[in-house]
Amino acid sequence: MAPIKQLIQFLFMEKKDIFYAVLFGFIAGIASVGLFAASGYLISKAALETPLYALIVLTSTVKLLGFIKAGAKYGERLVSHRATFTILSNLRVNFFEKLEPLVPQVFRKYRSGDILGRVVGDVESLQNFFLRVFYPPIVLVLVFISTIFFTSFYSFSVAMILLVGYFVTTFIIPLLFSIKQMKIKQQVRANRGELSTEVTEYMFGDKELKLFQQSEEKKQALLQHSDAYIQAQNRENMNKVFNQSVTGFITFVTSWFVLALGAYLVANGNLDGIFLAMLVMISLTVFEPMAPMGVFPIYYQESQSAVSRLNDVVEDTEIEIDEGNGKINTTGAPAIRVNNVSFNYFSEWRKTLSDITLKIDSGTKTAIVGASGSGKSTLLQLLIKLQFAEGGRITWNNQKYDEIAAEEIWEQSKVVLQENHFFYGTVQDNLLLANPQVTDKELNSALERVLLSDFALTDHVAERGENLSGGEKQRLAIARALLKQGDLWVLDEPTSSLDAKTEKMILDDIYQSATNDTLLLVSHRINGLEKMDQIIVMEHGRIIEQGSYDALMKQKGYLYEMKQLEQSLLI
Amino acid sequence: MQRIKQSLSAHRTSLILLLLLTLLLGIAIIVQAFSITLIVNDVFLEGVRFSSIMGWLALLLLALMVRSIADYYSKKIGVRIASAVKKETRAKLLDRYKHQMTNSEEQGLVGEKVSMLLDGVDEMDSFYSQFIPQVMQSAFVPLLTLIIICTQHINSGIILMITAPFIPIFMIVIGIKTQKKSEEKLEQMAAFSGAFLDTLKGLVTLKIFNQTDRKKDELEKSSLGFRDTTMEILKIAFTQSFMLEVISMLSIGLVALEIAFQLVLYDGISFFTAFFVLILVPEFFTALKELGTTFHNGRSSMGATKKVFESFEETISPVEWGVAELPHTDQTPTIALENVSFHYAHSGFSLENINLYCNPNERIAIVGPSGAGKSTLLHLLAGMIGSAQGDIKINNESLANYTEESWLRQVSYISQEPYIFSGTIAENIALGSEKAVDLSEIKLAAEKAGISALIESLPDQYQTCIGEGARGLSSGEKQRIAIARAFIKQPNVVLLDEPTRGLDLQTEKILQQSTKELQQFGTIITIAHRLHTIKDANKIVFLQDGKITGIGTHQELIDSLAAYREMVTIQQGGTEHGSN
Repeated sequence: MAPIKQLIQFLFMEKKDIFYAVLFGFIAGIASVGLFAASGYLISKAALETPLYALIVLTSTVKLLGFIKAGAKYGERLVSHRATFTILSNLRVNFFEKLEPLVPQVFRKYRSGDILGRVVGDVESLQNFFLRVFYPPIVLVLVFISTIFFTSFYSFSVAMILLVGYFVTTFIIPLLFSIKQMKIKQQVRANRGELSTEVTEYMFGDKELKLFQQSEEKKQALLQHSDAYIQAQNRENMNKVFNQSVTGFITFVTSWFVLALGAYLVANGNLDGIFLAMLVMISLTVFEPMAPMGVFPIYYQESQSAVSRLNDVVEDTEIEIDEGNGKINTTGAPAIRVNNVSFNYFSEWRKTLSDITLKIDSGTKTAIVGASGSGKSTLLQLLIKLQFAEGGRITWNNQKYDEIAAEEIWEQSKVVLQENHFFYGTVQDNLLLANPQVTDKELNSALERVLLSDFALTDHVAERGENLSGGEKQRLAIARALLKQGDLWVLDEPTSSLDAKTEKMILDDIYQSATNDTLLLVSHRINGLEKMDQIIVMEHGRIIEQGSYDALMKQKGYLYEMKQLEQSLLI
Repeated sequence: MQRIKQSLSAHRTSLILLLLLTLLLGIAIIVQAFSITLIVNDVFLEGVRFSSIMGWLALLLLALMVRSIADYYSKKIGVRIASAVKKETRAKLLDRYKHQMTNSEEQGLVGEKVSMLLDGVDEMDSFYSQFIPQVMQSAFVPLLTLIIICTQHINSGIILMITAPFIPIFMIVIGIKTQKKSEEKLEQMAAFSGAFLDTLKGLVTLKIFNQTDRKKDELEKSSLGFRDTTMEILKIAFTQSFMLEVISMLSIGLVALEIAFQLVLYDGISFFTAFFVLILVPEFFTALKELGTTFHNGRSSMGATKKVFESFEETISPVEWGVAELPHTDQTPTIALENVSFHYAHSGFSLENINLYCNPNERIAIVGPSGAGKSTLLHLLAGMIGSAQGDIKINNESLANYTEESWLRQVSYISQEPYIFSGTIAENIALGSEKAVDLSEIKLAAEKAGISALIESLPDQYQTCIGEGARGLSSGEKQRIAIARAFIKQPNVVLLDEPTRGLDLQTEKILQQSTKELQQFGTIITIAHRLHTIKDANKIVFLQDGKITGIGTHQELIDSLAAYREMVTIQQGGTEHGSN
């Protein structure tokens, strides 16, 4: 219930639209009932040889009600959908605000980026809450109460029958249905998960399966899972169909009782026969707006679990948030000290970093090398406070990281990550992220420096930079860093997709502009690191060698061997 | 469309049953209207006693029951057809995918196939389970009610026949007018809808550049933009249903007016007929309106169904195999490629005219720039794809004459990113053998592959679960598992795709050592990225743009082939020469 409460609070930001949606829905519902009641009455009246003028009045009423119904329905749809999308917009902004402080720490727990896709999916699914869960029952109740009230003037017992029918179809059946539905849905979800794993393994492991002659066996297993999943879906659909049919039948039976009782009352002289047709027509139409109630439990549950899942992420106490709020009280290129620091991702069984101790002097250039998965990137993330170190401490000019707000560090850093994000828009939009005050001339010169002078500032950039090649993305990211202020360069394999010649030109340019800055570079290549002041070699989350290039080469240790290997590589 | 028909024709009996049920449903609706009218008429005008209408009340109850039951069973049939079609389609898709080997560069395609197998098939559901029964009902019920109305009171029937066609006419007129506009809007919507995910994915970048607040405003703007665009599309749909409503309302009004006049002025019809018609007319329009919405809703599920069926149109060429058994002995077979060609339909890349002879126990290195067709060549040798032309001969006999099992039993393939299945480490290593293997053999293989120390340091040792969703391994460790698989298998032919970079030194050494050891078993064909592998090879095959441009030893190729010489020297970051 709590998550739903939270959602309702959200809806009330759009009070006006909600009010109008309910109002128009009510008018449409009542007009519809009135329309049928009036036409039933019209016919009965006509049968009794009524004067013509009375009939004309009645007929006009019927027509008028018809137009009111159509118009109100149009209004209801318009307002309710507008409200829905406004609410969705509010939800997006709200979850953006909630998620913002958790990124990227959230990736410590959810290693893959899928979590974001899930969050987006859940937020989007909440658009159904207002449209299918929240306001239709309100409209239904209002229309019903009014109808029963009206009916009770003619026959109290008929009104009571309608009330019972209403109670059964709106409360009892959806309740029973949703209990069963919940169980089935769980099964469906579990079966889907299993099938998804099987399919992924089958498709991505296809070579191995074929070579090890396991393809057929795996295929049979997959089909079995598919069958189980389809069977569960089948049960789910059957349950829905059954629910619909039962609800339909109950509404019919209610009408039947109305007719039987009405007929009985008329036959015994307790009800004027002229109202019988009207009452029957009312009972046949009043259940019409009931149809959306059939899907109410499904969307109710969906909304509830979507909110719970979202809360699981945004209210997860395991995910740390930045508690540092101090400013950096020194200026100039930072000296960074790392003392006995470790780090692990929640899903991993080994520490990604263990007992890291490191000295980076102000204005020096440091390279970090090692095999993929040795912890280089993670170390870099700790150094700019994108992740928080476990134990030990890191300092910026002797100021503890715990006490500095991460924003302060980013303010001072020119960062190129392994995965650089580009937004839908133009080259200019994406470069201006670094510094909104830069002139076009400066932007163009930055493009030139990364050898992208054939790019125009107005060139289109697709979502996630999908229309750019790996090398272009890397160079744009470097251009972005060049435009930014700061005394600390943090570069995570910034040129891995570039050819050796371009790489050298761009790195040389960076070294030149970074003369007085502190520079950290994770490199996939040993060649070209001769100029660095310090090289850190990592393996399995530990620093295994550190020192100047020449010293390490002389020592003939790990770096030396990596260099030998690199020289023998051709790609 | 053809395939949709085909998929339905398999369920002909169900469809006939569905038709019968719909007929029953229609009749129930008529009987329902008839008995309601009769009861009201008898009680209201004839003033009969309650007991004399009890029979009609019972009939009405029966009609209502029949109506509900017919509705339930017709929907149930739809659900059953949907389940059967889904099951069949998934099996068929799998069969096709089995024969479509993908290039390692086409990982995106694999993702597409995965989603086709899961979501594509799921989305077909509502087409069969809802659309088809609904179309039948919505098409049949109005027809039946119209006929009955005509027999009762022809004037009402004529009014309906004149007014009802306005519904499709209006729909078409509105549709034509708004089609272009809504297409434009749909494009805009697609642009907006991705914005939220895009923003979230870029959060790290945004934070580093301190731009979160600005993007938040943009997010709100784009969300509201999404709302406004969506609303414009919806307005069109709402206007359509508004018009529908108005037309049916006018029509019902006309019928009621006409009936009333007939009743009062001319005494042309009885109250019974009037009331009967009045109950049936709304049923007529409700069903018509439903037909409209059914088609509207059915469009997306029909689209999904078509999309799945479209993938059946692509031709596939399964690898051909024969019946001869290739004996598995210690004697390594000879391998000869004679004028072999292969062509990728997707990328257009082709491997042409490959001629290569491998003596037993030879070490062969395939060298060439990326995209030259090195892995395709390896796939051909493994029998994962079949050559378009030419022949691969094993012991002078075409590979296509042997059984798949007997060839694959002799082959190990170690790829750059070996796939680890979810299961225990022991199971993953034992995958190499078609026989049951005991733990001691697995341990021995793991030891040779240099991964036993790591495995034994784990609490569950060889029973540790790895793969999807379980404990992650580094790429070096995955490589070592693949090597252990090869040691278990003891193949006569080893196909190795050397990892390019990023391996730790230990794995590098293990890789080097184990290839030497695997050499005892037979021929090794390697896509080589390392100078030592190349130098150790008896024969180097230099591949460029899908063609072999040179075969020989390292020195021979250095001397004779400029492209090879350039690659060996320049690709090493400009050092003078590659030897050390």
